[in-house]
Amino acid sequence: MEKEFDNGNCPQAGMSSKLEESNLDPSRNSIHPAEEKDMTSFPGDLENNGQFKAGKDAHRKKLCGYLNKFSAKGRIKAWKSRWFSYDEQKCHLAYYRTAQDINPLGNIDISTASFDCKVGEDERVFEIRTPSKAYILKAVSTQAMMYWLQQLQIKRWEFCNSQPGLPVASIIVSALSGYEPLPDCTEAEEEELMPTVKTPTTLVGVKAASLPAPQAFTALQNISLKHPWIEIQNTVHNLCGGRQSHGNGGNMFDFDEFQEPPENFVEEEQLEAENAVEEETQEETRTGFRSGLVRKAKKLNSSFPRFAEGLAQEKVGVLQQHVLTLTEEVKCQKELVKLLHKALEAAQQEKRESCRYLAAAEDKDRLELVRHKVRQIAELSRRVETLELERKELGQSLAVKEAHIKELAEHVQLLMDKNQAKQQVILKLTEQTAGDFPDSVTEADVIATETLYKQQEEIEHLKDDIKAYKTQNQFLNAEIHQVTKIWTKVAEKEKALLMKCTRLQAYNCQMESKYLMMLRELQELPDLPSDHVEIVKRLIQEALQWDVKNGAMDPAHPNLVSEYDAYGFMSVPEYEVEDWKLLAKIQALETKTNILLSQEAVERPLLERWNSLGELAPSTELKGLLRCGIPVEHRPRVWRWIVNCRVHHLRSAGHYQRLLGKREATKHPASRQIELDLPRTLTSNRHFASPTSPFIARLRRVLLAFYWQNPTIGYCQGLNRLAAIALLVLEEEESAFWCLVHIVENLMPVDYYSNTLVASQVDQRVFKDFLAEKLPRLMAHLEQHAIDLALITFNWFLVVFVDSLASDILFRVWDAFLYEGTKVIFRYALAIFKYNEEEILRLQDSLEIYQYLRFFSKTISDGRKLMNIAFSDMNPFPMKLLQNRRVIHREKLEAELRELERIKAQYMREQVEQGAGLLDGAVSEDEEEG
Amino acid sequence: MMAIRELKVCLLGDTGVGKSSIVCRFVQDHFDHNISPTIGASFMTKTVPCGNELHKFLIWDTAGQERFHSLAPMYYRGSAAAVIVYDITKQDSFHTLKKWVKELKEHGPENIVMAIAGNKCDLSDIREVPMKDAKEYAESIGAIVVETSAKNAINIEELFQGISQQIPPLETHENGNNGMIKLGKQTTQMNRRCC
Repeated sequence: MEKEFDNGNCPQAGMSSKLEESNLDPSRNSIHPAEEKDMTSFPGDLENNGQFKAGKDAHRKKLCGYLNKFSAKGRIKAWKSRWFSYDEQKCHLAYYRTAQDINPLGNIDISTASFDCKVGEDERVFEIRTPSKAYILKAVSTQAMMYWLQQLQIKRWEFCNSQPGLPVASIIVSALSGYEPLPDCTEAEEEELMPTVKTPTTLVGVKAASLPAPQAFTALQNISLKHPWIEIQNTVHNLCGGRQSHGNGGNMFDFDEFQEPPENFVEEEQLEAENAVEEETQEETRTGFRSGLVRKAKKLNSSFPRFAEGLAQEKVGVLQQHVLTLTEEVKCQKELVKLLHKALEAAQQEKRESCRYLAAAEDKDRLELVRHKVRQIAELSRRVETLELERKELGQSLAVKEAHIKELAEHVQLLMDKNQAKQQVILKLTEQTAGDFPDSVTEADVIATETLYKQQEEIEHLKDDIKAYKTQNQFLNAEIHQVTKIWTKVAEKEKALLMKCTRLQAYNCQMESKYLMMLRELQELPDLPSDHVEIVKRLIQEALQWDVKNGAMDPAHPNLVSEYDAYGFMSVPEYEVEDWKLLAKIQALETKTNILLSQEAVERPLLERWNSLGELAPSTELKGLLRCGIPVEHRPRVWRWIVNCRVHHLRSAGHYQRLLGKREATKHPASRQIELDLPRTLTSNRHFASPTSPFIARLRRVLLAFYWQNPTIGYCQGLNRLAAIALLVLEEEESAFWCLVHIVENLMPVDYYSNTLVASQVDQRVFKDFLAEKLPRLMAHLEQHAIDLALITFNWFLVVFVDSLASDILFRVWDAFLYEGTKVIFRYALAIFKYNEEEILRLQDSLEIYQYLRFFSKTISDGRKLMNIAFSDMNPFPMKLLQNRRVIHREKLEAELRELERIKAQYMREQVEQGAGLLDGAVSEDEEEG
Repeated sequence: MMAIRELKVCLLGDTGVGKSSIVCRFVQDHFDHNISPTIGASFMTKTVPCGNELHKFLIWDTAGQERFHSLAPMYYRGSAAAVIVYDITKQDSFHTLKKWVKELKEHGPENIVMAIAGNKCDLSDIREVPMKDAKEYAESIGAIVVETSAKNAINIEELFQGISQQIPPLETHENGNNGMIKLGKQTTQMNRRCC
């Protein structure tokens, strides 16, 4: 990697290639003839010359240069040379046909772009992807490309950081007080990911503007087909600029100035060109041509030094021969010396013998000596004989041995032949076996040797690729890192904006509801001029249409009023009557306001507490949490836990299935009522709206199973709603069944749903007692207007507020109810009256009061407030008192019922006594009245 | 300015015969196939002109299931009229209707105007209760009888108009407006005339 950059750091490398290209390019002269001419003639300073539209200090930072842009317009696909210039203010990368153009052909928004570089066909190609378009660009060299990419990244990061603080900044601080901003990534960190690419000065920056566009094939081809108008504008402008500069030399953009690079620059260029040539040769020698070149060089060089060399060699030869003769001479001399030595020795010996012979005094001695000598000679000849014999023997044995060796050699030859044969057989067999395989071993060997060279080449290629991929990988890591950082920042901003949005929505809802309320009041004003009435009517119509528009505007936002809530209840109840529609709208808006406002402050900490809650266990803490309401995501688990705890003793494996089996065996009258009620259950809920919904089938089974679970109750209208709510939360029907069992058998008093609903009626009386105690003023008011509350509250108790409260409040009531029991119903029923106490007190007509009481529970929008009333304002609420009151009222009610029975019996007796005559009389009386 | 009379009317009848639908059609001129079953009771009002008076109907719609019958006195107590509804496609519901008539005769306000509504007359091809039976029975108890369809808005207005006409005129009585609600409170005095 580093090596690559080192290579890249010398600008000549890039320069040379460019020179080559431009030299090859015949159109170059035609495009920039003026420039070339002026290059040599115009003296000037590079710094000044470099000033384009930017200031002097900005010039150093200015990111601009020629790149080839890939354009595929229709069938014409080509690389087109473009002058790219980065605009700091807009964070745009504008591109022009030439550096002299004023009107860009296009802009690339860098702030939202991501960058990519490809490894593969051409490693100088990189991509800028914006949400709307992907730009494929090609730099002059890999290094230039890396420089571009890195600079663009830096620019993007700078821009993202320097973006003027959004108005949400304050919100971020205030709302996310706990949030610690991400530590800004230091430069060093950046360095780690991607070593900074040094500026390839000649390829990018303002200087490059004065260079001819690289790879400008033909003028025509380079012209943008997409932007004919801009092209014309630019051309005209350039022409004008050129002409004017000749005239006064002071046009506003100083075109001529920068079009004409200074002399020294040209010099530099020439210098560089020279260097480049040098570099070129160096490069070449580095490559595989090296050996060839060396050889060539040798060949060239040999002609010159041959002469001298020949002389020396001859001399050496002569001298060497001289040495040889001399050495031989020495050898001969040495031989001669040896011979002479021997002769000398023999002579000496003879001399010694003769001396001894001469020394002998007498003949006898001399004879003796001779004899001795003769004996010696005889002995010696004998020895010679024996030695001869020995020699003969040895010769014989040698012959024997030789014969033996011959034999052995023959044997070896035989074995070798055998071996050869065997090898051949093996070879044959191997060939045979190898023939079975598609790639025979021998063939593979051949191929291996053949491809070895190829593979080596390939390895080289792969090494190159690896290097490229490393570069790419490093770049992409840097890119990912930066994009992630930007993403985090943007996400934070988005969060803050969403929070602000939520708040604004809440305010908006509030305003809207107030506006609607005002409209409603206006509408009800008795003495309104008719034209005003019309206006109000129209405004109301418009207001009712808002919903549709709003829904269309923000389909993506989950917080906005969606048609249905988490459990499939309609957010805005559908009413047919216009006036109610308005009311429903107002209420929905108020509910939304409350939800939106409480979301951050209340719901989130609650959710966190629920999230941190592990194993569930009965406790006062849990009771408190349940009263505040279970978050939607935890509700099924918690309900299941509550129900399981309480029906544990009743529950046995397969119990539910057995009950369902019973239902199949026998048909019973309750099933008719159940069938009648199934399509009429929670009709405002989308899960129950369709008769083919799986919820309906589950509800049927749950209710029928319950019939067999508790035949004394069987089926009572209202149980369908309880079961339906259980199904909505728990989904699974057996759980819902046990939830229903839990409610009816554990929570509700005996006879709540059985034949005469005695316990329900008792509870109405108990409730009146509590209301008189807790809200005496209201109770007095209701009594004054002869309001029978039981008409209103009876079904609140029987179905635990289903269809009487807005769904989010309903589920909160149920959360506490399932855990604590009927006391919760009393608390909430009282709270509902307390919540609206002032409103009821204001009404002075019994009919109005009834009409108000009919729907007032549904208009409650602030669930938190209601909860606080229920669980703190209504304290103390001792269970003992409730039970005592139930006992007392039950006795009273039963006494009354007995009395009623008595009256009934008496009436029957009277009827019988009076006979049929009375009936006729009644008819005639009616006829008279009609 | 015409005098307004408030008339308490209760609807009685077997479950699922269409009591709530009749009310819904009459008050809101709207029909919902799967209107929620009434539990306990529900309450609506509608004012219609009748002669030189305005009759404001306070309609108490009741639950049909038998076990809710024990609550019925709460609703028909102090009523000027009772609409007893049956389903012409269900013989059972006609039987239940007779039981209601009997109960009203026994415990209801004296002189309560009774109107019999044979609902779902749009389904006459699966009729179980012949029109003749209903007419004969109504005559025998001196009640208005009409076959209605809440779904197709047949005879709903007529039903209530008929009731209006059966209500005795106001001038003979002193306490008009909300007299019957006061009456309703006095549980034991069921024999007193309303209005």
